[in-house]
Amino acid sequence: MGRALEIWQDTQLPLLTRWRRRRDRATCDLRYRHLFTPGDTREWVSLDCETTDLDPHRAELVTLAAVKVVDERVLTSSALDLRLQPPDSLSGESIRVHGQRHVDLEGGEALSEALAQLLEFIGNRPLLGWCLDYDLAVIDRQLRPRFGFSLPNRRRDVRRDYVRYWRRKHPDVTPDLRFEQAAATLDVPIIGRHTALGDAVTTALMSLRLAREA
Amino acid sequence: MLTADLNRLPFTLLDSGQRRRLEAGLDLGYYAVGQVLLESGAEPENVYLIHKGEVVEEDPALSGEAAWIGHYAAGDLFGAISVLNGRSRYRFRVEQEALCHLLPAALFLSLCEGCPAFAEYFQQRLADKTQRLLARRGAFGATLAGFMLSRVRACLRPPLVLAEAVRVTDAAAALRERRADSLLVGAGEALGMVTKTDLLEALVHARVTPQSPLTGLGTRPLIGVDIDDYLFSALVTMTQHRVARLVVFENGGVAGIVELLDVLGQFSSRTHVVGLQIEQAQDMAALVAAGSGLTALVEGLMAQGVKLRFVMALLSALNARLIQKAFTFAVPETLQAQSCLLVLGSEGRGEQVLKTDQDNALILADGESWAGREAADRLTAAMQHFSDQLAQLGYPPCPGGIMVSNPAWVASESAWLGKIARWASSRDAESLMQLAILLDARAVGGQVALLDALRESLFRHCADDELLLSHFARGALRFGSPLRLFSGLRRREEEVDVKKAGIFPIVHGVRTMALERRVTVTSTFDRLEALVVDGRLDRAFADDLAEALGFFAELRLRRQLAAIDTGASPAAATASVIVSRLSGFERDLLRESLHTVRAFKQRLTHRYHLEY
Repeated sequence: MGRALEIWQDTQLPLLTRWRRRRDRATCDLRYRHLFTPGDTREWVSLDCETTDLDPHRAELVTLAAVKVVDERVLTSSALDLRLQPPDSLSGESIRVHGQRHVDLEGGEALSEALAQLLEFIGNRPLLGWCLDYDLAVIDRQLRPRFGFSLPNRRRDVRRDYVRYWRRKHPDVTPDLRFEQAAATLDVPIIGRHTALGDAVTTALMSLRLAREA
Repeated sequence: MLTADLNRLPFTLLDSGQRRRLEAGLDLGYYAVGQVLLESGAEPENVYLIHKGEVVEEDPALSGEAAWIGHYAAGDLFGAISVLNGRSRYRFRVEQEALCHLLPAALFLSLCEGCPAFAEYFQQRLADKTQRLLARRGAFGATLAGFMLSRVRACLRPPLVLAEAVRVTDAAAALRERRADSLLVGAGEALGMVTKTDLLEALVHARVTPQSPLTGLGTRPLIGVDIDDYLFSALVTMTQHRVARLVVFENGGVAGIVELLDVLGQFSSRTHVVGLQIEQAQDMAALVAAGSGLTALVEGLMAQGVKLRFVMALLSALNARLIQKAFTFAVPETLQAQSCLLVLGSEGRGEQVLKTDQDNALILADGESWAGREAADRLTAAMQHFSDQLAQLGYPPCPGGIMVSNPAWVASESAWLGKIARWASSRDAESLMQLAILLDARAVGGQVALLDALRESLFRHCADDELLLSHFARGALRFGSPLRLFSGLRRREEEVDVKKAGIFPIVHGVRTMALERRVTVTSTFDRLEALVVDGRLDRAFADDLAEALGFFAELRLRRQLAAIDTGASPAAATASVIVSRLSGFERDLLRESLHTVRAFKQRLTHRYHLEY
């Protein structure tokens, strides 16, 4: 995506978001100041997390994964894959989706520790994700009380790109926006569905594919 | 996670710790069509393991079809050799959108260091890889492959050697005591074989008394095998000579006896049963019945993972006996005594596993009058009859008319010599083809010695004629690069015609060299061996060629067997294999085999000046 387009997109953000981001930059710990300078668009980070709920206002993080995408490579060998300590709200409902039980999470990271690692990992790189807004909403809800800011990184929702791709190809057909269906349409293998890392990698591959179509 | 399939060679060579390291170190790459993954001369950063998609390897210095080196599809691994060499020799380009696992060069090298077997895998030559394929297939069912590869040494009985002066009763006692069926009589070089049956017959016919010495009883010359020969070739020799035991030689001396029963003890297949049926056939009907078992025998041996080379050797011995028998049944004895039946083409080389067509010819001894009109008619009738008999046996008539029912392929010795001289001097395409056909001739019936004069004359006319050899060798380059067939890679069904791309260039090239060096054996494998002994080819390259030929022939045979299953004739089966239906390992072999053919063609071009 062109640089100019990115900047233009920034100007399209709600005024409140822009104002909040400037204030965060001014007030945050200096260690994290560099997150607010726009990053190199050659390197992206694909992000995904599994949570306890579908409502971003109530969901707690269960697992968290991020993987770097450089040019057309997905650096799975250096991926970040974190299991968190079981949150109180971990219930049967969500365990059925992501399969992470209390036992599996024993010995997992403490939340602030995990978020620090995440910040370290993504730096100021732009973010990719499927329904990225949801994941970021959950993360920001945890991040703001602990670090005093929300993630300021540029972002790109692969699902939105997919919709755009679909509209251009089949203007008359309503797209099927399920993750599995999109992966199949783009001929990308689904890798460990409902594991954070697997979804992050699949999303990365989908975005590479979509970038090629554009 | 998207895990690479590591449950296969060469990854199975790594221990579990190394495999975990490998798995943890893999990245993913997703590449667009046309993208160059590795430029020729560049230093490679990764070894690539294709998860999906297709990649071609090409030589940027060349253009068009000649540039094509290799083709990789899902499951294939490439770039390893480049990493080991430090730079890539060719260019790797994405042919169909490819998702690859990337194994960083540093990790790859450290794995190689930690596991010598893993490193070795990538440095292996073609022959070793074939061996491995064979071993793997053998694991699926049969211990037969193991048998095929075991040596005579493993199945040896100590010899019982007696002096000529020993009396028959003492010899019988010694046989009983040693529980042997045969003994060697004599000393030093002059040994003869005496079997229990020989003793019995001699006694019954009162040629000897129990008290007389063994003098004069031994059968000579000894039929033997070398101690390091494959057990299989011992079986082939027994079939050829119709004997049940062979003397085993080691460094020129006798090391022991190998008995048919012992061999069969390890090898309970139908081979010898079919052999026996052919031997015992008293009329055409019995022979047809025996011959019909051959296809099933081939299928059985192939399914058991027997190396095709050995199947070929065995089948060619059996086929030769079959044709010889048919010749005895169909042709009057007077004619048999005055002529020599030749088999030509693949049958002559002993490389026809299934009966594809009857290529044969007849030499009539000089001085016998088959010239008269009436005699000629009788001859034609006899040959027609023989041809029909072969057709009954399952050999379809040769579409090119190269068979004895065609008068052009029946001639007297002097007439043949004249033909050879004419062909050698005219050098046009037709003549060269006739020469090539005749070069592969093998005598199977009648007066076998008649062929020798013919071959001698062939060598006299051709072997020193550089110009002729050059014209002759050009044939090997006739079917250019097979690689054009890959141009349609985007279709899933690319085909390679292994007969044109692989078998023909090797066979014809080796034939040319054999002609030049006056090698009299006809099998391509034997010719290669002879050329190595002669110093014309180096051992490693000859082995590679033999392996490549064996592999091509196997691919072709599988197609033919499949055709028979569907009810078609093997002759009608195309020799094309569909690349994407081969396993990754076989694709590997195909690629390397084609490489070998290409290198061979280059050598031929250089040696016989075919640049223009």
